[in-house]
Amino acid sequence: MKTNAFSTNAKFLEAQNTIFARLTDKYSSERKLEVDKLNEPVLWARNPDDLKILVKAFKLDDNLKVDFLSDLTAYDNQDGEDGTGRFVIVYQLYSTVLHTRIRIKCLINEHQQVQTISDVFVGANWLEREVFDMYGISFAGHPNLRRILMDERFSGHPLRKEYPIKQREPFNNNIDFHLGANPLSVENTVIVNAPEGEK
Amino acid sequence: MSKDGSSIFYPTLLSEAAKWAQKNSLWPMPFGTSCCGIEMMSTISSTYDLSRFGAEVVRFSPRQADMLIVAGTITSKMAPILRTIYDQMLEPKWVIAMGACSSSGGIFDTYSVLQGIDEIMPVDVYVPGCPPIPEGLLYAIIHLQKKIQDGSDRKPAERPTQEDAMNAMSYRKGVGYDIKANFVVTPDHINEIKKQQELK
Repeated sequence: MKTNAFSTNAKFLEAQNTIFARLTDKYSSERKLEVDKLNEPVLWARNPDDLKILVKAFKLDDNLKVDFLSDLTAYDNQDGEDGTGRFVIVYQLYSTVLHTRIRIKCLINEHQQVQTISDVFVGANWLEREVFDMYGISFAGHPNLRRILMDERFSGHPLRKEYPIKQREPFNNNIDFHLGANPLSVENTVIVNAPEGEK
Repeated sequence: MSKDGSSIFYPTLLSEAAKWAQKNSLWPMPFGTSCCGIEMMSTISSTYDLSRFGAEVVRFSPRQADMLIVAGTITSKMAPILRTIYDQMLEPKWVIAMGACSSSGGIFDTYSVLQGIDEIMPVDVYVPGCPPIPEGLLYAIIHLQKKIQDGSDRKPAERPTQEDAMNAMSYRKGVGYDIKANFVVTPDHINEIKKQQELK
């Protein structure tokens, strides 16, 4: 069969329809299912613990064929536009077979913990560290939850709306942390382990 | 030796000769962190050919270099590392701040970016531009050569206060002017100005 722009587009639309049907059939009970401007499904998880269940189920689902985590991020919901909850955490999943995307969102509060998915998708490790660094959302069971972008002595989480954007913190020296003649003691060093089951 | 065999002497001070040697053999240590780094590479390579000015021996070891070219945004996490590189260079050493970011923080007036490398080290020449064209960097190096020949004193690094650093790029506070924050002209101001004009 010849492939051209029209045929691939038709194939993609068909795949998107089957995915949407599958999501409404199996996953939309007590969950809100939306469609965004690009006609892609957005599924709101019931609670933070529901997120990991969903991601695991999507990965094992033969109809969805989700095999790639494009992005894991969050945004500040201080104005309450998306409901009651301080932050919204976003999982963007992609299928390299069907070329379709599924977005999972969840409202969480400041002191709520989210289960890590770094044992499901290994790439989530650094993305979760970035979310922790920028918003202060902690992930339970993460192998190495440290700051990734800012200095480790930095206080505050700069992408929260209440953080003053120009508040800088100068540090005298950060080379001793990892490279210097007097590195951190073993007790203070976090050893990075690969998640179990992915070795 | 001249053509007829007689020797020619140029009587001079040894310090002057040393300056002449230093200015014509600057060994750059490149520190390119963003788009300015691309312009610096262009300056060093064949199109613009920095070697015409005697500064082509690029060293990636600070111990072998005497001119630090900081080209690009320096974050506050990177700042101590840059300072260590500066400390590792042997005297005499010179620093060029290339581009808006390394001179003043540029457009990045945020929580993570250093507002100019002069917060952490003395700077000899600032090159404006975002990024500066290669001719800008060439001009800076020629200017630096003049500075070395003149032997002018170097200003030590000035550390601005936290408040200065916070307001370094905001337009409310002008440099050298006393502009009040949130200044709004009211009818009272206009009456005051009229009164002053009448008095004159």
